[in-house]
Amino acid sequence: MSKQVSFTLDGQEVTVPQGWTVMQAARQEKVAIPHFCWHPGLKVAGVCRFCLVHVEGARKLEISCNLVVQPGMVVSTLRDEVKQAHKWALEFHLLNHPLDCPICDQAGECGLQDYYMEVGLYQSQMTRPKVLKPKALDVGSELVLDTERCILCSKCVRFEDEVTKTGALGIFARGDRSIIGTYHGQKITHQYQENLVDICPVGAFTSRRFRFKQRVWFLKEKSSICPGCSTGCAIKVHGKPEMRRYFRVKPEEDQSVNGHWLCDKGRMTLEHLNPEARLMQAARWQAAQQAWEFSPQTAPFIRELAQEIARLAPQDIALLVSAQYTNEEYAEFFDYFVKQRGITQVYQWREPSEARDDFDGLLLRGDHNANTRGLMAALKQVGIKAKIGDQLEKCVAAKPQLVIALSPEISFTAPSLPEQLAQLNSLARVSLWTTHFSASQWTQLWQLLPLRGFAEKIGTVTNYQGKTRVLKEAFPPVASEVLAISQIIAGLHKEL
Amino acid sequence: MEKPKIVTRFAGLADSRSLDTYLRHDGYQALHKALAMKPAELIELVKASGLRGRGGAGFPTGLKWSFVPKDAPEKYLLCNNDEGEPGTFKDRYILELSPHMLVEGMIISAYAIGAQKAYIYTRCEFYEEIAWMEQAIHEAYRHGYLGANILGSKFSFDLDHYGGAGAYICGEETGLISSLEGKKGQPKLKPPFPALSGYLNKPTVVNNTETLAVIPWIVQHGPEKYRAIGTEKSPGTKLFCISGPVKRPGVYELPLGYPLQKFIEDDAGGLRDGKTLKAVIPGGASAPVLTADEVAKVTLDYESMANAKTMLGSGAVIVIPEGQSMVELLKVTVDFFHHESCGQCTPCREGTGWLSNVMHGIYQRKAKLKDVEKMIAIANNMEGRTICALSDACAMPTRAIATKFGDEIRSYIQRGNHG
Ligand SMILES: Cc1cc2nc3c(=O)[nH]c(=O)nc-3n(C[C@H](O)[C@H](O)[C@H](O)COP(=O)(O)O)c2cc1C
Ligand code: SF4
Ligand code: SF4
Ligand code: SF4
Ligand code: FES
Repeated sequence: MSKQVSFTLDGQEVTVPQGWTVMQAARQEKVAIPHFCWHPGLKVAGVCRFCLVHVEGARKLEISCNLVVQPGMVVSTLRDEVKQAHKWALEFHLLNHPLDCPICDQAGECGLQDYYMEVGLYQSQMTRPKVLKPKALDVGSELVLDTERCILCSKCVRFEDEVTKTGALGIFARGDRSIIGTYHGQKITHQYQENLVDICPVGAFTSRRFRFKQRVWFLKEKSSICPGCSTGCAIKVHGKPEMRRYFRVKPEEDQSVNGHWLCDKGRMTLEHLNPEARLMQAARWQAAQQAWEFSPQTAPFIRELAQEIARLAPQDIALLVSAQYTNEEYAEFFDYFVKQRGITQVYQWREPSEARDDFDGLLLRGDHNANTRGLMAALKQVGIKAKIGDQLEKCVAAKPQLVIALSPEISFTAPSLPEQLAQLNSLARVSLWTTHFSASQWTQLWQLLPLRGFAEKIGTVTNYQGKTRVLKEAFPPVASEVLAISQIIAGLHKEL
Repeated sequence: MEKPKIVTRFAGLADSRSLDTYLRHDGYQALHKALAMKPAELIELVKASGLRGRGGAGFPTGLKWSFVPKDAPEKYLLCNNDEGEPGTFKDRYILELSPHMLVEGMIISAYAIGAQKAYIYTRCEFYEEIAWMEQAIHEAYRHGYLGANILGSKFSFDLDHYGGAGAYICGEETGLISSLEGKKGQPKLKPPFPALSGYLNKPTVVNNTETLAVIPWIVQHGPEKYRAIGTEKSPGTKLFCISGPVKRPGVYELPLGYPLQKFIEDDAGGLRDGKTLKAVIPGGASAPVLTADEVAKVTLDYESMANAKTMLGSGAVIVIPEGQSMVELLKVTVDFFHHESCGQCTPCREGTGWLSNVMHGIYQRKAKLKDVEKMIAIANNMEGRTICALSDACAMPTRAIATKFGDEIRSYIQRGNHG
């Protein structure tokens, strides 16, 4: 263990590792020191000058974010002079702010608003004209930038310098004419744009996707794991259960995997959760009408499937499984079909064109399956030896009488999905278990069973490092007919 | 009062900038002496002299040098020749008189701190001074005072210069470092201090031109001789540049502790055209103003100025005659700092703008009487809260003018209100 240092913070004796700043110590102790420019994942800039504290014996107030704890130091965040200083710091920040909160997406989670309630509450003394700056700039595919709302905390600049290392942003000009922006009208093109929205303490950077969609205080959030790739970033899904809609995905701090960040691809996984992309009811293909017939009753479908399983010998049935389900789902699925029903033909369903070993150097991996390692372990568990790879063609070539398939959930992970489904069409009976559905692309499969999306289940996946990642909390599914794998298997049990 | 000449000893000499002239007046003698000493002994010598930095803050030079780690393999010495403080024109005078004085001072200082490389950061409008300085550097290289194995010693050292584009903030030592690194000229957060992590994140000493230029004299004549001049806490001489309606404006070398009033009246010849004294800014635009009454009581040294709640600063004495509007003076002052704030720290970025904004309101007589108090409150909350001292440099003179000349400003506003 590293050396520890003790000091006094608001009268409490606090011990932290040597080299920590007062800000870090305060965060650990849940002592709130107002701050705008400090971020635990970025270098200290010390520019907002908001986080002032009183240090006994010091000539003036010090900024806590750049103040390394010294043994025996006595720090106060509560003295009157500190509170006055915070109030003034906030007033300086708000001086040239447009105060367009009613139309600002940041409203409700804005540092300026929050701190105004905590340390502000003054009558504005600014009676002169404000400095005006450009608004609603297009600076990247995911971003809209309002330079007037910017408080010049430089977090976004540091993010581009230190995290993406693209140096995409800069503060131009100087003094109160300083303006945040990209160089010469360039666009930000990397895959980590929405992190700028997360770290921006005000509504300067807003998300193109989320803009004007929803007031944030109406949203509920649940902890889960991103299904976008084998990194398995910790996320919070924000949704409105009563509306059966999901609105955004935000990172959850996890130093062992994603730190404070998420890639934009990961945030797009959200699109697979909303009703437009979902299979909301069970369906069967009506050859005569050349159309899908949907039904609110899932039991008859499960009964039909059970009858087929009963009718066929185990060697005529195949399982086709993508690597996007939880360890618990695999355990249950294989336990039932392999161990209990004796099915031995098990194929992996993967994207044939995947570049599995790619890595963008930050988070995103070429293996766009959240649980490749979990699937391989589950197969091994039931005695099936396999190397990672797509086996859909092999499955089709074996011409099984019945295929029970766990479809990939996230479409960007499976660009070949339409062609793969077309290949499956040649088989007599495919029972496709799936979260999503596309009326324009999908035809002919025997039956479709609607599954819960990733935000609607709890469980674990195993990421590329072999770390167990926990989908901790679940939203209720978007429709009551949407099933958990365990419910389908329970249904089969009852029938057979 | 005796007025020994250290920096100005070359004034009036024919061809004063040439190496020949410099050598004829003991030039580079101090370097021989220094190279025979150990670096640590040199630092002790400068400490003993009590020399304080002439760039504005008056920080003890020997002490600053002693913070540099002895064993770091790569270190830098930077000469601050930005001379940005309004009213200041003394450093260029050194280059006009004898650039070799600076070159020799830099070689000795670099040897003391163990730097292998130094830059002179100059505002690039100093066209002639830059040419003179280049000439001196070339001569020094040709004669073995610069380059490898200086004067046959083991010490090798290179000197170059760099032209800044004239931003005031690039005179702040870490702003200067950023600019020299090719970055936007913005001060760096401290700690770490430059002595540990400065130019290119290597230990760095930044000293003002005048500070470095007196080093040869101190080394050659010894710290006692230097201490014999000036006061206990402010030893030596300093250059003062006096401007305003005096009979003989210009640069003067005076022993520290010299009475301000005497300087204005005797040396600069007093006010011209029958004007009377209203106030004096004793140390450049950042220094709080002194009223005529206060002027009579202070002497030109760090302590006396601090007691009068102002500062010696860069030595820029700006004389203000009766009849000069303090509203106008305050307006140009805050406008200057507003224009020059780099803008990274919120209190400075917003505070300088706010002061300027309120001041323009006052100037146009679209203001309330209590705007004067508001300016003082803003200034109080800009001070001591930022990365560099520019914020303080705006706050301090604002508070001083708004306090000492508050009645004048209020009556100006009122006259407006009454038509
Ligand atoms: C805004 C600002 C501008 C400054 N400009 C200058 C300058 O032009 N020249 C200078 O020597 N020092 C200037 N200084 C002081 C330097 O930061 C630094 O203290 C000085 O160069 C150190 O040299 P010294 O110890 O020899 O005085 C400035 C300081 C501030 C805050
Ligand atoms: S855009 Fe946001 S993150 Fe960037 S400097 Fe401005 S306030 Fe800070
Ligand atoms: S890196 Fe992978 S797990 Fe992380 S957010 Fe992106 S897609 Fe999701
Ligand atoms: S005090 Fe002003 S000039 Fe100095 S670093 Fe801060 S914003 Fe820049
Ligand atoms: S949080 Fe410490 S200065 Fe901004």
